[in-house]
This record gives sequence, structure tokens and C-alpha cells, in this order.
Amino acid sequence: MDTSQLLKGVLDLAVLAVLRDADGYGYDVLRRLRAAGLEEVADASVYGTLRRLFAAGALTSYVQPSEEGPHRKYYGLNKTGRELLARSTETWNHFADTMSVLLLEKEAA
Amino acid sequence: MNTTLTGAVAIYLAQVRAELSDLPPGELEDVLEDVSGHLTEVAAEFGTEPTITALQERLGSPRQYADELRTAAGYPPRTEPAGQGHLDTGWRALRWGLIAGTVGPFFVATGIFAWSRDETAFFGMLGFAVLFVSASLGVRALRGSDPRTVLDNPRGARGADVVRGWVDQIPPNIRTELVTIGQPVWWVARGVIGAGGFFALFGATSVTVVGSVAGAAVSIWIGRKTQRDRRWLWYVVPLNIVAAIAIPSFLAAAYAGASFGFFNNYNDYRGSNSNYNPPPSGLQLDGNQVTNIYPFDAQGNQVDVRLYDQDGNPISLDLQDCAANYGQVSRESKSNEFPQAVVVPDENGDTTEETCKDSTKAPFAPPPAPATRTTPAPLPNGRPSAAASAKASPSPGVTLTVKPTR
Repeated sequence: MDTSQLLKGVLDLAVLAVLRDADGYGYDVLRRLRAAGLEEVADASVYGTLRRLFAAGALTSYVQPSEEGPHRKYYGLNKTGRELLARSTETWNHFADTMSVLLLEKEAA
Repeated sequence: MNTTLTGAVAIYLAQVRAELSDLPPGELEDVLEDVSGHLTEVAAEFGTEPTITALQERLGSPRQYADELRTAAGYPPRTEPAGQGHLDTGWRALRWGLIAGTVGPFFVATGIFAWSRDETAFFGMLGFAVLFVSASLGVRALRGSDPRTVLDNPRGARGADVVRGWVDQIPPNIRTELVTIGQPVWWVARGVIGAGGFFALFGATSVTVVGSVAGAAVSIWIGRKTQRDRRWLWYVVPLNIVAAIAIPSFLAAAYAGASFGFFNNYNDYRGSNSNYNPPPSGLQLDGNQVTNIYPFDAQGNQVDVRLYDQDGNPISLDLQDCAANYGQVSRESKSNEFPQAVVVPDENGDTTEETCKDSTKAPFAPPPAPATRTTPAPLPNGRPSAAASAKASPSPGVTLTVKPTR
């Protein structure tokens, strides 16, 4: 199974997760996802996801100057974002459990 | 964002922008801010400024990038002119571009190498007219869609593949050099030569120098502009082809001394004929051909003479008597004895070999002797002057001989 297919469904959750502890700009989010082991994530889809979450009102956005180059646009979780992350986490856990059980039963059978 | 992107990154960004041009303006600017930041970071990964190919290997084509972004962001699918119309748009724009790039330069080249000034002007004007009209029709055929739609049809895609194949033949490091060094040099060269050549035709040297500098500046500006808005390609590519023909011609002409085609016409116009028109042959007086000389002495009598110049070289003209006209060949064809016999037509105005007559008689009434000027005043001792003695013993057959000075 292709991981990039799976990623499409859970990229929102992954992006929310890496922004939980600290705000980040696009490239920073990308790096955190890669560092977490999601190597297959496509650059452009991360930026698209940030835009969609922002449009949905789950993220705040602000521009900050950087020492080594252009200004960077940071994204961070707001209240809506935190709630969305909590809900999505629950959904994911439930889904993952269901899948695990399903796969275990298959193995046992 | 207040970033100034350059080179491949700017091109890539412009292409992504074109792909997303259907988004609402506010959202477009916001998302492009992110993309521009992203491209800056990716470019930094490369260490040196990346080539467009390197960027595409890393991120996919601008279209793929934009599509990924669109899907993930949940933007609506791109609104394009429906199916077949879209194909037609691309093909029509490409076709006008091809006409602008071939027919236009062909006529301009014909003009450059044409042998007369009129033809140069005619074909030059025709060529540029074809070029600009087809280019503008091409841009119009796009109807505001992304210029790269021209490659969205089988023929366009095949052409793009072929060109990409050629480009891949060039080693990557040379490709980089060509773009980083060759491109600015080309921009300056085409501007200097194009504007310089134009002003050289119509202006003085100082105008030409100023024109060349201005031309270089304009050319660079157009080059940068084209990187951002690819629609300029419809004009720039055909003009580049013209420049690619004209620049070697100009250089060759400068080297060979401006002695062919257009350059020669130009010289004729400016009154210099050093290379093309040989000096006129024969004997001339104030630009008119002198075909015979009828010497008269001081008393108005026609005399026979032999003429020499200041170096003792005979002043000879082609013989034009009956013998010269009808065959007699075993003699010199020129003579410095004057007057020369010329053929006299019969009463019907005709001449034939059998009845040919020639005469040394002047075909005009001999002028009255200008006594005051040509006859010296009598010497004080009353002896007649030289002219007077000539009159005393007129000898019609006398041959005046001018002694050579050396």
C-alpha cells in the first residue's frame, strides 16, 4: 500500500499535530513532518493544507521578519484548531483501533 | 511579501501563478506568498541558484505543483475554456507564433540581403509587419489563458519533447553557464546591434552610440519582462530570430567592409561608392562623358592635334569611325588624335556598312575667335605674335605635340 495515498486522508491531522506545540512557517511544518517520519509528504500539498485549515478558521497567521532572508508567514493553532485537533485525534484513534482489530481478526482466522 | 526572486525561482513562481490565475485575487496573493517562501527555502537547499530543470526535478512541474496545492487546499478545479475550444486556443496561438517566427524573419532577411535600397525597405517593412501582426494575433488567440496551453495538444507536446531532448544533450554545467553568462550577453548584444543598426541608418554617429546603449537597456528590460509574462514570447522569439540573422550579417559586413546587399545600398545612399561602383571609364568633364574633341586654333580654324596628359600619357578615346563600326580590326581601337572621325548618317538617318561615311568636321558651328583673350597683344617692337605667324602660314595639317614633362 502506498503511504502517500494514506497521507491524503490524514494530512490535516498531521499538520495540526506538528503545530500543537509551536507555531511554524510552511517550510518549517514540512521539515517537522519529514522529521516525524512522513517522508512521502508532497511539498505543495502541505502548503495547500495550511491554506485550507486557515480558510476553515482553524489557524491563525502572522508575518515575522527572519534574520537570514525574507519575512516568513507563520501559522499557529487557535481555539478552533485545538478543538479540531482533539476531535480529529479521537476519530483517528477510533479508526486506527478498528483497523487494528480488523487486521488482527484476519490474521487469527 | 517583499521578496525579490530572480532566475529560475521567479520563472517557476510565475508559472505556478499562471496555473492558479483563476483563484480570487486575495487568496491568490496569500497562497503565492507561501509558495514564494517555499521556493526561496528550496532554492537555498541547492546552495547555488538552481536551474529550472533542477527545480522541476525537486518539486515537479509548476502545473503538478499547482494541482497538488489546489487539491490539498480544496480550491475548485481550474476553470478553463471547455475541452475542444481549449485545444483550439493553444493550437491557434502556436500557429500564429510559428508564422511570426518564420515568415516575418524570412522577409526581413530577404530585405537585409536585397541588392537595392527599395527592396530592402519593402521586404524589411513587410517582414516586420508580418512578424508583429502574427505575434499580436497569437497573443490574442490565447484569450488570456496561460501561454503554455500551446503545448497542451499532441503537436505542441511532441515539439516540446523534441526541444527538451536537444537541451538534455547539453551537459548540465554548460547549460548553467549558457543561462547565467550567455543570456545577459545575448540581451546586451541584440539590443546594441539592433538599435545601433537602426540608428546608424538614419542618424549620426553620436545618435548611434546613444541609441545602442538605450537599445541594450530596453533589451534587458524586455528579457526580464518576458521571464515574468510568457506572452511576450510571441514577440520576443521572432525578434530573436531576426537578431540571430542580422547580428552575424552586421559583423560580417563590418569585417568585410560593408560591401554587400543592404550595407551597400546604405553606402550608395550616403554618397560613398568606393566599393561598389567602379570609377567611370573614359574621359569626363564635370561628370559628362566626352566622346570627341574638336580643337580650333586662335583664328577659329579647326586643327588636328594629338593630346597628352601632364605625365605624357596619351589622352585616347575609342575610335568611332566607319572602320571601328564595321569590322576593320587590325589597328588600335583607341587614338589620341583629335578630332576623331565619327559616322555621319545619310539623309534618311541610317547608316549601313556599304554606304558608311565618316567625318572629322565639327557637328556645330565653330565659335568666333575670342580675340581679346586668346590673341596676345602685339609686342612692343611691332613683331607679330606667335599666333599671328600661325595665321600668316596656316597649315591645317599641323600636329601640335605636347612634350612630356619627363
